[in-house]
Amino acid sequence: MIDKNIRTIRAEIERIDTLPTIPTILKKLLGVIENPKASLTTIGNFVSNDPVLTSRVLRMVNSPVYGFPGRISSVNQSLILLGLNVVRGLLLGVSVFEAMQKAMLGLWEHSLGAAIAARVIAKRKKMNEPEEVSIAALLHDMGKVALSLKFPAEYEKLLSDVEARSLLIYEGEKELFEITHADAGAWVAKRWNFPPNLVEIIEYHHKPHLSKNYPMQTAVVHLADALIRARGFGFAGDMLVPHLNQAAWYSLDLKEQDLKDIMLELEDLLQEAAEFILSDE
Amino acid sequence: MNNAVVILSSDIVLSSILQRLIAGRQVICYKEEQPALDFIYHSLPRLLVVQIQDEQSRSVGIINDLKSDPVFGQIPIIAIVPDDLVISSWDRLLADDYLRRSAVERETALRVSLCLSRADRIVEISPLTRLPGNITISRQIQQRLDAGQTFALAYADLDYFKPFNDKYGFSRGDEVIKMVGRLILNLVREQQPQGSFVGHVGGDDFVFIVECDAVEATSTSILSYYSQIVPTFYDAEDRERGSIVSVDREGKQRSFPLMTLSIGIAHNRMRKFVHYGELVEIASDMKKHAKGKKGNAFSIDRRALVKKGDF
Repeated sequence: MIDKNIRTIRAEIERIDTLPTIPTILKKLLGVIENPKASLTTIGNFVSNDPVLTSRVLRMVNSPVYGFPGRISSVNQSLILLGLNVVRGLLLGVSVFEAMQKAMLGLWEHSLGAAIAARVIAKRKKMNEPEEVSIAALLHDMGKVALSLKFPAEYEKLLSDVEARSLLIYEGEKELFEITHADAGAWVAKRWNFPPNLVEIIEYHHKPHLSKNYPMQTAVVHLADALIRARGFGFAGDMLVPHLNQAAWYSLDLKEQDLKDIMLELEDLLQEAAEFILSDE
Repeated sequence: MNNAVVILSSDIVLSSILQRLIAGRQVICYKEEQPALDFIYHSLPRLLVVQIQDEQSRSVGIINDLKSDPVFGQIPIIAIVPDDLVISSWDRLLADDYLRRSAVERETALRVSLCLSRADRIVEISPLTRLPGNITISRQIQQRLDAGQTFALAYADLDYFKPFNDKYGFSRGDEVIKMVGRLILNLVREQQPQGSFVGHVGGDDFVFIVECDAVEATSTSILSYYSQIVPTFYDAEDRERGSIVSVDREGKQRSFPLMTLSIGIAHNRMRKFVHYGELVEIASDMKKHAKGKKGNAFSIDRRALVKKGDF
């Protein structure tokens, strides 16, 4: 176990001001924002494919500076409220991960895949705000980014331990830190004044039955996470597919045929997503 | 508002130097405080240059009195101070800028123009939205009319804002106002980065100015984003129900729909206007018309031209 208590870990996590992204995204980002013709819509489409850029934008728009903290959970709405100049300046300040590049690239694919899957499920369930659920899924693992930023050596070792011992990543995290990436992600989200639904979904995406105020949205992200792992898209940090939470599964009320349809619908979308992250231009 | 620069100094030599340096403007020199004040009170000059001897001078009292009055406090004041004066704190000398006596010859012209341009830039800003207020709004409209520009003036306000404020409290009402101000500002700038203008009249009233060809697209995008964002300012159950229970002006409980945005648009493409007030009045009429429509809506003045050949 790490030689720190939970309070110290929390304090270190909450001190994070900005999360780094992966090099492939940064390269493309510069291309997007340095283009003088870039509109808020093109920037928005780009940003909403990346968990770190999305979290950066949400943090800014929900900061007390603008006067309406904790209200905005959509990337496009954030960009309109921030304005083009602020957005450019904000995105130019993004840094990149130097370490664990392969694992991080996998995590990015996993996050984007989960966001796509959550949107497909939310639409099929005819939920009011499919975009909101999709953003929550995009951000659900931001705690992993936070932990590997603050404790890079420990987290890298954790990844290989987890693989050697066939553990789920949050089991490994629990052993090492006494907390999981779900806790870490929720701390950051709360600290950055994210809307309450995002905080709750991030916190309970592995225990959806504990979500009090947003049980359906949390269940969707929980299922999206599992489906994307099962599909083998990206890399969430371990090789296993965690058990689907029974209560969440029943509350979603999906048939086996629904699942097949969802998986089918996902294929093309995931193909596009993979090209977005991996293509080199 | 008068365009004069007032100089208050008992030193005739200094006054005449200043007068020479502030060339190209109307400059009025006073040796004594009382007549200077009389003039300031009656004609609201653009700038005041005051010589002070020390922190106890009578002119310091005059500066501070002017600055603590909301009307006269907007007049920028430059204090000319002796080279050896120690200024302990700006709390006791409410000047906007100062010049040492020995720097007068070298710096006055630039300091004066900087002071004036700074005053133009910051005029009056709504503390809530940080957008310019009514004086700037009127000036912006009048300047465009005087320059013979064709443009559209849009007047936007929220419907059912009062019951929202009553139910959720003014601090959440303020949040909505800030959001709407920010939304209008950025969408106007996105449609027309140069030459557009956004102001906050007060309360839940906003205006913006864009080119005629851009006004419908701008209004449409404002209404569309507004309708997506505003529900997040309600509690979940109200949002789902699509209405709130609050009290009306007579104090009776009733149900109100979620706040909508109405935009009235006036323009001078088909008619000539001389005074900004005429255009504001039409925009305001159009806004009433838009309020008659259901939901988020804008109405644009399509009344025919007054005389032929005005196109």
